[in-house]
Amino acid sequence: MASAQLRDTRRRIDSIEATKKITRAMELIAASRIPKAQARVEGSKPYTSKLIEVIENVSGVGGGTSHMLLERREVQTVGVLVITADRGLAGAYASNIIRMAEHRIGELQRAGTDVLIYAVGKKTQSYFRYRGYRIERAWLGVTDTPGYGDARAIASTVMAAWAGRRIHALEAFFTRFQSALTQVPTHMEVLPISPPETAPGHDRPAVSYEFEPSPGEILDRLLPRYVEAILFNMLLEASASEHSARRRAMKAATDNAEELIRSLTVQANRARQAEITTAITEIVGGAEALAESK
Amino acid sequence: MPQTFHVDVVSPEATVWSGEATVVVARTPEGEFGVMADHEPMMGALATGPVEIESANGERTTIGVHGGFIQVLENQVTLITDRAEIATTPSDAKQVAQRLAEEQEAEEGAETDQG
Repeated sequence: MASAQLRDTRRRIDSIEATKKITRAMELIAASRIPKAQARVEGSKPYTSKLIEVIENVSGVGGGTSHMLLERREVQTVGVLVITADRGLAGAYASNIIRMAEHRIGELQRAGTDVLIYAVGKKTQSYFRYRGYRIERAWLGVTDTPGYGDARAIASTVMAAWAGRRIHALEAFFTRFQSALTQVPTHMEVLPISPPETAPGHDRPAVSYEFEPSPGEILDRLLPRYVEAILFNMLLEASASEHSARRRAMKAATDNAEELIRSLTVQANRARQAEITTAITEIVGGAEALAESK
Repeated sequence: MPQTFHVDVVSPEATVWSGEATVVVARTPEGEFGVMADHEPMMGALATGPVEIESANGERTTIGVHGGFIQVLENQVTLITDRAEIATTPSDAKQVAQRLAEEQEAEEGAETDQG
């Protein structure tokens, strides 16, 4: 019966309207967080660049740049750090990174290298756990608004693994935030720290520093900070990317809902029209039948 | 007019202070020291405590600092701190630094709990 169809269509429209309200709200929330996340990415840059500058200077002066974190080792086990999100609804954001990481893990395993996974974000954890990978450690609840403390926690875990020779290299997968429209899945080698290359034309004559404490001790403290700083930077970039990806996905969902509502409204109107036409035809038919019988 | 030099105070989150200054007083674990223009190149670890900066226009800023490094090189002074916050009054800075240190400890404590 026509009216049942009409009722169904209307119900669907209502339900899509409700969904649209939700996706629209999520779009706005994500959009409101992008500028802040982006500002934090920018804000963290001076620290990292100053740190690199200082490390260059110290290692240039300190002569022997030998430190545990700089050591190249024969690679038997690689730590793989995969940074994604805790929540979905961000399009292909998490799966892009995971696909890239899994590809690399496959490569490593075919080469006979062991892999330990460090997961940041529930999406990474559940994906790799479901597929039976060994997850060494997972951090949840950090990707929304990562703090420096989170980077510090991750850094201390991986550096402890490095010190204990559980891992012989650390590779990270995260999404680099280029702009609100472009985010690039990125693969980066974190450990061993590659000695910062002295930029050409940046040839500083060896400065005689006054050190307090000794250069070795300073380097001892600088390098872990450097690891923390790059991890922090990754977390911030990933977070800005996540919000952008979510905003885009939710905008697409909202647009989609609008489109659906439009076509369903047309359908509902047509059903209503059909119902009215049927009713009129029935009335007219009935009236004519009555007139004839008189 | 005393000579000035450039000072940057950065923390992982942000640039805390940046500008021209005439005097910087900071603390290393070994004690307090002052930096003026044309100071010898130097690199040191910073202690928890206040850092005072007298800017080129004579304004005094006190920053509570926890951990990090100071580099003095060619009239560029860079303070790379773990945590830093501008204090409202000079006497306040010590408390600010102390609070920053406690915050960090609390964070680290929380992390080990998770593990």
